[in-house]
Amino acid sequence: MQFNADLIWTITSFILTLLVFTYLFGENPVFRFVSALFIGVASGYFAVIIIYQVVLPRLVVPLLEGSLIALIPLVLSGVLLLKLSPRLSRFGNVSMAYLVGAGAAIAIGGAVLGTLFGQIKGAIAAFEPQINAAGISPVLLILEGGFLLLGTLATLTYFNFGAKNTANMGPRRGLIAAIFAWIGKFFIAITLGAVFAGVLTAAITALVERSDFILQTIKGFLR
Amino acid sequence: MKSPLSLTVAIVVGIVILIGYFVPSPSLAAIRTPMLNWAMTLAGIASLVAIINLIFGVHWKRLRESGSKQFFSAVVILSFLVTLTAGIFFGPSDSNYQKVVTAIQVPIETSLMAVLAITLAYSSLRLLQRQHNWMGLLFFLSVILFLVINSGVMAFASDIPILQVLLSGFHNVPVAGARGILLGIALGSLATGIRILIGSDKPYSG
Repeated sequence: MQFNADLIWTITSFILTLLVFTYLFGENPVFRFVSALFIGVASGYFAVIIIYQVVLPRLVVPLLEGSLIALIPLVLSGVLLLKLSPRLSRFGNVSMAYLVGAGAAIAIGGAVLGTLFGQIKGAIAAFEPQINAAGISPVLLILEGGFLLLGTLATLTYFNFGAKNTANMGPRRGLIAAIFAWIGKFFIAITLGAVFAGVLTAAITALVERSDFILQTIKGFLR
Repeated sequence: MKSPLSLTVAIVVGIVILIGYFVPSPSLAAIRTPMLNWAMTLAGIASLVAIINLIFGVHWKRLRESGSKQFFSAVVILSFLVTLTAGIFFGPSDSNYQKVVTAIQVPIETSLMAVLAITLAYSSLRLLQRQHNWMGLLFFLSVILFLVINSGVMAFASDIPILQVLLSGFHNVPVAGARGILLGIALGSLATGIRILIGSDKPYSG
């Protein structure tokens, strides 16, 4: 086996993989060591990326080029850094307010234009014969679209926790809302199951890939 | 009113950026675009503040306290400083720096994902043991069904029309549920965003 830099990094990856897998025997100091290493390297790398892609090109370079408008984000950034000090942190509230205001506007825009319009359009499109595959009978199309619409409405109803106060039994949902919410529970259970299966499939794929890596590395050592 | 300046900044910035989504005016875009750029810069600086707080606010403090956590905090600080110094010295696009970082990051991330497979399978079985109701059972049956479908075992169904219709029907259930959940999230985001823009919620005044 030739000894080179690639081999060193393959051995490093192999050891790190085995150290993470020790978690299967329960929480242990070796696993905590790898977690600490991961957090340190990830945060260091993220800090480097921020310095090279945000601080230098967006704050330092425009200022060196004489752009006065660059003073505004520089001042806001400087004030935001005061959040690190418990005594001075309240001065950073202005920058946080700027971020929260911009974030709220982006969230509203994304929710309305991206999700609400998009999903409502999707619900309507389920009934449109020209969008769906040719050859499907109109009755089947209406049934399928109606089923999707029922599921969507029932799921939404489940998340509506508004209730009327009844005399003897405390706050209760109306009859129609209660029926829809019950149907919604059925759709939510199946949806979460499908999502869970997707995550599990991705995790199993990673498990297969890592197991294969361990086997191939051991084979390589034995050759 | 705790801080009228912060409130004014949040409302003005939010409304200018929001109007820009619906009113395509060049003069508005001239104000909105730099405002969005400043927000991106601030988001980056906020992440940097979070990292500095994690390293020096949490782990540095823990290093001075006695206890078993000292060693792990030292590992966090040391690996952070080495990665940061090397990154600043060589630059993030340096191929050797990239190789070293990915040789540590990728195997740990993938192995954690692999460990997750076993942890998730174990926890879902425990959930089934504890949740003796129809929703828990339905969740478990759905997981099994979609694992079977995802595995590709049902590929032969494309030759059998009835089975194909049945599978399409199964696929429609999570589509409808996910659409309902997404609409719920969007309505929640909309309500929270509006509360911030009208000044009812002030999450920045802490």
